[in-house]
Order: sequence, then structure tokens, then C-alpha cells
Amino acid sequence: MSMANSAALRRRLLRVRLFLRPPRRLRMRRPGAVLVAGTFVLGLATLNTGNNLLYLLLGSLLGTIALSGWLSEQALRGLQVRRSLPRAVRAGSHVRIEYLLHNRKPRWPGHGVRVRELHAPLDSASPHAATAGRPDFGSAFVPVLEAGGQCRVHADVTADRRGVFPLHGLTLSTGFPFGLFDKERDIALPGALIVWPRADRAVQPPRVSGRRGVRRLSGAGAATGGERGDYQGLREYRAGDDPRDLHWRSTARRGEPIIRQYERDATEEYWIVLDTVAPTAALSEEAVEVAASLLSVAAARGDRAGLVAGSARLPPLDGGPRLEAAFDVLAAVEMRRHGPAPHPPADPGSCVLVTARGGGGNWGDVYPVGAQEPR
Amino acid sequence: MSDLHRRLGALLGLIALTAFVSGAGLDAPAVVPAGIALLLAVFFQPGQRLAERVEPLWQIAAIGLALRATFHAVSPGGDPVLPMVDLLLLLLCAESLRKRDGTGDARHFALTFALLIASAAYRPGPLFGVIFIAYVVCATVVLVTGHLAREAHSYHVAAPPPQRAFLLRVAALSSVVLAVSAVVFLFFPRLSEGWAARPTPPVARAVVGFSDRVSLGSHGTRIEANPEIVMRIEFPGGPPRSLRGLHWRGRSYNRFDGVNWSRVEHGMPRVSEAQAWPGGIVEQVVYARPLAEANVLFGLHPVIDVTAISRIRPVRLRSGDFVYTGESDPAYRVRSRTGMPAPEQLRAVEREHTPDIIANLQLPAVTARMMRLADSLRTSAPTMYDHVVAVERYLKTQFDYTLDLPSTRREATLDHFLFVRRAGHCEYFSTAMAILLRAGGVATRNVNGFLGGEWNEFGQYLTVTQNNAHSWVEVFFPGYGWVTFDPTPPGAAATIAAGAGSLGRLRMMLDGMNHRWGKWILDYDLGSQTQLLQRLAQPFSDQDRTARAAAGRNGVSRWPLLMAVALAVLLLLSVRRHRSRTAPSAVSRAYLTVRRAWQRAGYPPAEALPPLAFAASVTGAPGADAVRRVVELYTAVRFGSAQLSAAEHSELRAAAAAARRAARQSARGSVVPG
Repeated sequence: MSMANSAALRRRLLRVRLFLRPPRRLRMRRPGAVLVAGTFVLGLATLNTGNNLLYLLLGSLLGTIALSGWLSEQALRGLQVRRSLPRAVRAGSHVRIEYLLHNRKPRWPGHGVRVRELHAPLDSASPHAATAGRPDFGSAFVPVLEAGGQCRVHADVTADRRGVFPLHGLTLSTGFPFGLFDKERDIALPGALIVWPRADRAVQPPRVSGRRGVRRLSGAGAATGGERGDYQGLREYRAGDDPRDLHWRSTARRGEPIIRQYERDATEEYWIVLDTVAPTAALSEEAVEVAASLLSVAAARGDRAGLVAGSARLPPLDGGPRLEAAFDVLAAVEMRRHGPAPHPPADPGSCVLVTARGGGGNWGDVYPVGAQEPR
Repeated sequence: MSDLHRRLGALLGLIALTAFVSGAGLDAPAVVPAGIALLLAVFFQPGQRLAERVEPLWQIAAIGLALRATFHAVSPGGDPVLPMVDLLLLLLCAESLRKRDGTGDARHFALTFALLIASAAYRPGPLFGVIFIAYVVCATVVLVTGHLAREAHSYHVAAPPPQRAFLLRVAALSSVVLAVSAVVFLFFPRLSEGWAARPTPPVARAVVGFSDRVSLGSHGTRIEANPEIVMRIEFPGGPPRSLRGLHWRGRSYNRFDGVNWSRVEHGMPRVSEAQAWPGGIVEQVVYARPLAEANVLFGLHPVIDVTAISRIRPVRLRSGDFVYTGESDPAYRVRSRTGMPAPEQLRAVEREHTPDIIANLQLPAVTARMMRLADSLRTSAPTMYDHVVAVERYLKTQFDYTLDLPSTRREATLDHFLFVRRAGHCEYFSTAMAILLRAGGVATRNVNGFLGGEWNEFGQYLTVTQNNAHSWVEVFFPGYGWVTFDPTPPGAAATIAAGAGSLGRLRMMLDGMNHRWGKWILDYDLGSQTQLLQRLAQPFSDQDRTARAAAGRNGVSRWPLLMAVALAVLLLLSVRRHRSRTAPSAVSRAYLTVRRAWQRAGYPPAEALPPLAFAASVTGAPGADAVRRVVELYTAVRFGSAQLSAAEHSELRAAAAAARRAARQSARGSVVPG
């Protein structure tokens, strides 16, 4: 079978799978399983003895199951959900995703509804593939949502690693009314959660313009504030600025964060080049985090730092949005085990290389990841 | 929510206990203490420390009762049912007095339901139906409140406070459970053959009343009345014109030894009175209780045939008596002839002593004066029929009826009855007539059964009690078979009576309920199911259409009509659904009514003026504050996605009412707007 044919077959199978996907799913809880088993046993006893009152009791158990199914359906039906995601979150941090629920039913309130992110794309043939390494999405709970009413709830998310995690939709579930079964309903609600790499590694600021060498990633000289020149003035806070530079009095007066700017802050311009080849996954992530930390340091110092990571290239420009864009690139960058060495985008002397496989050539500064001692 | 849930849980236990008591009574020793403990649990919950101290005691008691139940189960002849119930009740009380989590809740529900199952085994009365409804309603509320409280606890959010409207709605939803129960009960096929079940023990054995023996030996006391019901009889084709004096024939006896009557099966003439007798057919549906003495089926003489309704097998004996085999309560259909041969026809019959009738002429040792009495009664009668009537009239008119038994055994003889005491109960009368006729050469036999009954207007059936037990005589007329004669003085034996007075009517009503409960609930079976389905299908059957066409009514099938009604209902529901979807919320409705009220007072309509501008336009007018508040709340909900609390809803309603009132006053001219 040719590749084209097999792809067509997969698409067809996917369509069938989507068609057959149940609009609702029912999961049995332990009390529900006991109830079903008890109903079965009572049914046998009823058939055996022919005791008419047992038929009545059997009917009540079946009625309880039927009522449970009906009410859980009513609890999930007619619910609209909107999701409010943060622009991005930093790896290792906890954030909250907010959901706005609207009950469009005119009479039926919604009781005990849980909201959680759908872990697999609705149209994925292998749902488990998409869940690997995803952030831990908690679930939100709505005790009561009145008929026609709205409410906001939130779920706590813990993101351990960077990445761009597509969100495919939500799963609404409820155990209402008796807690015997969990009924689930999926809602397609595309989105993405961007998790930036950690940028809190202690790195020495890069040296450019002929002061080449191999830099320590940490150590006594890792502080970022020693070479910044004279105080120049105040400006608005931008993402990546060192919070220690906040000018509290101005911040309090203007109601927005104001930062101190130094003479050196606007003087340096260089490229941070991330070598996307690393022998191990741990070193890959370390390299990305060093690059992110360098970007943070650069922003704090007021340097104009560009970024090259794989095929992505962001020229050195100033401003918070530019820094956020750089973090977005680092969140999405794919690290590989093998590949060619990166080329400096400009004069190698004005480029800083972050690499996990050694070498450095004519780079302005090299940040070796994984090396115990500087070379 | 948690406290309410706990209290309702204890109440659920009480309801289940009541259901058990309604069937089994107070037999289990733990019933009364359990009732007190459950009642206590409704109003009181032990604190954490007390609960922890009591917990080991529960466990020790439970282990003790479990060992006791095991001992009863393994010991030969032991009955573990009541010890098991005691254990069940102990566990239920412990669970009700504990603080319950999710597992405990399920356990508690399982225990109460087990108690309900246990009570079903005792064939409880109609009270069980009421308790069952209460149980379902309470269980629904308990399960829902418990679930919500647990979920809120697990998510560390406050459980919604129990609102009356919510609880009422949940209670109303239990009607779904009841409806499913009813459907399962009515339509679940009754295929039980009881392959592993113990037969249902007859719960009411008659002790006094009908007996499968006739004996004159009893003496020394008085026969006590026994109002225990033995059977209820329905007449599907309508009751006979006269219910008085209906003889519900049971068993016959043809051999008398001077004290006891017995049966000699050989030598019985095989006759079929039903074919020779005139008159129509009366159908009787009999719901009887099993009798201790014999598995006898009763019916009006002469019986054409008997068909079983319950799981019994009727057997017709050579004597014409009907007995049955099977363990269930007998319910059966009897067809009998309504008339009897005319006196002229019977007068034409001559005595005929065929070999198979000889056994019915057997005589015990009779005294000379008894023979003389028999001869004197015979000589005056020209025909056999007149002879029989003369003996019957003699006993009816010359003797008294009494339930007092003779004082000594010597007095408990037929001779003493006929010539000294001249009073006795029905067995003396029937025996005297049978023996006097046999002494005169007439084949007779003694018959036991019931006479009359009590007509229940509510249930349209005849109730026969042990008080109606009776004995009479059958005389053999060749060509016509056995003909009934009753020598007991009229008025002495129980006849047809109706419940009189409010107490009697209440008794009748309760008995009617009991009968329906037994007929439609306890004894509902495949036959009843088929009957119900046929009745449901009847309006749509061809036969019914033909019958209605023959009766001059429209013979059109009812299916299209039914479908049209169903469509109309669906349409109505759809329209209501659409309306409710497009209907504004309560807040919008309040705002719009205020706008309409002010529009009538001369202000611009809602389409022409936005809400805030409208609120500004009424500034200074009476009611402006109320209008402003309504608009504030409306805009907060409509555009700010806010949710109103219960207090704000109340405030909205009050403000809207005040704003409308002000608008009306303004429209009447008492207030000049703006």
C-alpha cells in the first residue's frame, strides 16, 4: 500500500472514529458499581422467588439508575464555557485558568459540575501521544449554577516544563445527583498554553566587542548589576526587568511599575544564539533555560539582544513585547540530538553562543551547558 | 447541608424499620431499641469524643450478633433470619449515629434497603405501599444532599445551603423512580418458577370456622366468633340478584358413625348436575386464603368448571368436590349454574337405590325414637321431594340455633339434640336432616362450606369470613344429582351484611384496600399481567371496534386519534421549550415590566432609550430611586456578567414593584413626571 493510500485510510478511519465517538461518556464510581451489581443480584432473586414486592424494589433501583442518568444529562446540557488563559506561564510556576460558565437552561440549575481540560485532541487517533509532558491541569468545580445564571471558577495549573501545549477543549463532568456515575461531555474549545522556560539561572552578563571568552554560568561574578554604568533615569517596567530595580516611590505614585534605567542599559547590542543540538534531554532544557536567563539579564541591563534558535530569528530590538516573543520562541524551540552547528547571524564577535556540545569557534562569548569547569 | 443529610439519613432508617415492622411485626428483639436509637439519631449526633468511645462497643456487639446469626444458621433446625435482622438493625443504628463519609453513606443506604428487602419476605399489608413511597422520596433527597455535601467538601468549597425549593424539587423527582418502579412491577415478565425459593408459608391458618370434618363430639364451651377473612369473591358478570343464602360449597361427607362424618370415595355416583339444571351461568373469581384443614376450592353449587388464576392445580373429585395442589394462595375462577330444578320437577323423581348411591344411605346406630320420628316425617309426604322438604321444615321451625355447645359428652349426641336439647349449631341440623332422611330411604350427604358473606361496596366483592362457616345437606335426586337443602333456622347463620356506620364503612374501605393490595401487588402474576395488557390493548383491537360499531358508535380505530394527541403534546412541549429558551431571565423580565409601566406613563419605550439613559430620565420623579436600582441590577447582570444573590433578587423584586407602583400613580396624574 502506498503512503498516500495509507494516509487516506487513516483519515477515513479517523472520520469513522469521530462519528462513533459518544457524545457522552459514563464512568462508574464504586458505589455505582455496587448498585449495579446489587440490582443484578436482586433481579435474580426476584425472578427466582416471584415475590412481587421484590419487583417493586427492583424497579426502585432501576429507577434510581434511570433518574441518575437523566439528571446528570440535565446538569451538563445547555452549559456554555469560556476559558481565560494567561498570556504565558513560566515553567515551574502555578497559574490559574479561569472559566466562565453560563447555564442557558431556563429552568434547570446545574449541580456539581466539574470542568477540566481535555487531555487529548478530539480528533486525535492516539490520545496518549498528546498528553506526554503536559502541565498538570487541575479541575474546577461548580457547586450550583442557577438556571440562566453565570459563574466564574478556576483551575490551578502546574507547568513543569516549557512548551506550547495545544488545548483542544474541555471536559464537563458531573456525578450529580447521587454520585453513582460520572457523566462526561466534551466541548471543543481550541487554545494553547505557552509555558516559557525558566529564566532564573544565575548567568554572567555576556561580554561582546572583543572581550571574548568562555563564561561561567554561575559564580561570584554572576550578579547582573555591577557593570551598568551611571543612573540615567526612570522608565516603565518591561518583562524581564530585574524587580530589584523597581523604583517604589514612583511605582506607588503612578500606580504602575517604574524601573530605574542605567547608562549601560541601552548601549549593548548582540545576538544570543542557541545551539539546538544537545546530547541529552536534560542538557537541552538547561541550554534553553540559559538562553532565557541571558535574555532576562539583557533586558534587565537594557541591552538589545537578538535571538537565534533553530530556524527562528529575532533581531535585536528593544521592548517588552520583543522579549515575550523571544520567550515564545524558546518555549516552542525543538531540541535535537544531532545536527549542524549554528551559524552566527552577524559578526561572530557580537554573538553569544549557548551550547551543550562544546566548541565555540569565533563567537563573542560561549556559554557551555553541562561543562563542570570553564574551558 | 451535612446536618440535614444526616438527619434525613436517620429518618430513612426509621422508614425502613417501619416497613419491616409492617410485615414482620415486633418479632425481632432489636426492633424497639433500634427504633429508639434511630429516633435519637434524627435529633442528636454524638460528638467526636463520645463517638470514638462508643465505636468499640458497636464493634463488639456486631461481632456478637454475627456469631449468634452464624450459630443459628449452622445449627440444625435453626432459623437465622431474625438474628440476621438484629445484626442488620445494629449496623444501621451504628451507621446512623456515626459521622458519615462517602462510603458510610453508601453503606447506610444499603442497610436500609436490605431492611426493606427483608420486610418484603413477610408479605406486608398495604401500609408497605405508603412506606415504600416515603422511602423512595426520602432516599432520593438523602442521596442528593449527601452527594452535594461530599463533592463540596472534596473541592474545599462551601456546600450550597439547603433551600426548601431545591429539596421539594428533588423530592418531586423521586416520582421518576416511583414511575419506573411501577412500570417494572407491571410489565416485568413474571417468569418465576421458584427453582430455589422456599414456598411462601400460609400466613393465616384458620383455626376456628371451616373444618374438613363434621363432628358432634365437641362440648363444654361456646364457639367463639372468628372474623378472619377466608376469601373474597368477585362477580365479573355482575353479582347474582340475591346474595342472601349463597352456599359456598366446599367438601361433602357420606359416612356417619354417630359422632363424626367421613368420606367414602367408592360408590359415589358420578353426576353432572350442571347439565341437567336450568338457569344461566354465574362466574365467580375467588381470592382465598389457604385453610389449615384442607386444600379445598369453594364455589356455588352446581359448579361447571374451575380454572386456576394463581399457581395452583384444581382437581375435581368423584364426589364433585374441588381440591387443589400447589403452595400459593388459591385464586381461581368458578363457573356455576344460577338456577335449580323446580319443585315440580323434583316431585316427579322417584327414589332409586342404585349401587353407587348405597354409600349415601349408610346409617349409624340410631335410637328407636329417632326411627319413629323419621317414619312420622315420611308418612305425611307423598313424594321424596315433599319428604325432604318436610324434614327441612321440621328442623327449621321446631328447633333453635345456638353456638353454645352441650355441657357434657353424653349430651353431644344426635338423639339428645333431637329429643332433649332441641338446639344446636349448624352441624347438628345438617346431621339430623341427613340421618332422618337416610332413615327414610333418601340418599343424602353432609356438606361443609360457607354461607353468605359481607358485600363490600367499595371493592364490589363479597367478603367471606370464618364466621360464615356452615354445614348443610345435599339430597340425591336421580336425573338431577345432588340438590342443596339447608335445615338450619334462617337468621341464625351469618348472611349477607353490609358495613354500617362510619366505622363499618372504614372497615370496608380498609378491607377493600387490602384486597386490592393482595390482588394487584402481592399476587400480581403472569395472568394478571396478560389481563392488564389485554385491557390496555382492548380499545385498539378489531373486536372492540366491531363491538362499538355494532353498538352504533363510531367504529374508527383509535390509533390515529392517539397519535394525533401524542403529536399535539409533542408540539406543545416543543413550543414551550422554544419559549422558555427565548424567554428573558428574571432580571430582564423585571426590568422590562418596569419599562412598560413607565412607557404607559408617557416615557419612551425600551427600544428608544438605553437603560442608563432611562434611569437618568426619571431622576427627580417619585420612584426614581427604585427605577435606578432596577436598572443598576439589570445592567450588572446583563452586561457585567454578575450573579445576583438571594438578597439582591429580593431587592430587585421590591424595587421593581415600587417602580411600577410609582409609574401607575404617575399615569393617573397624581404625579407629574419630570
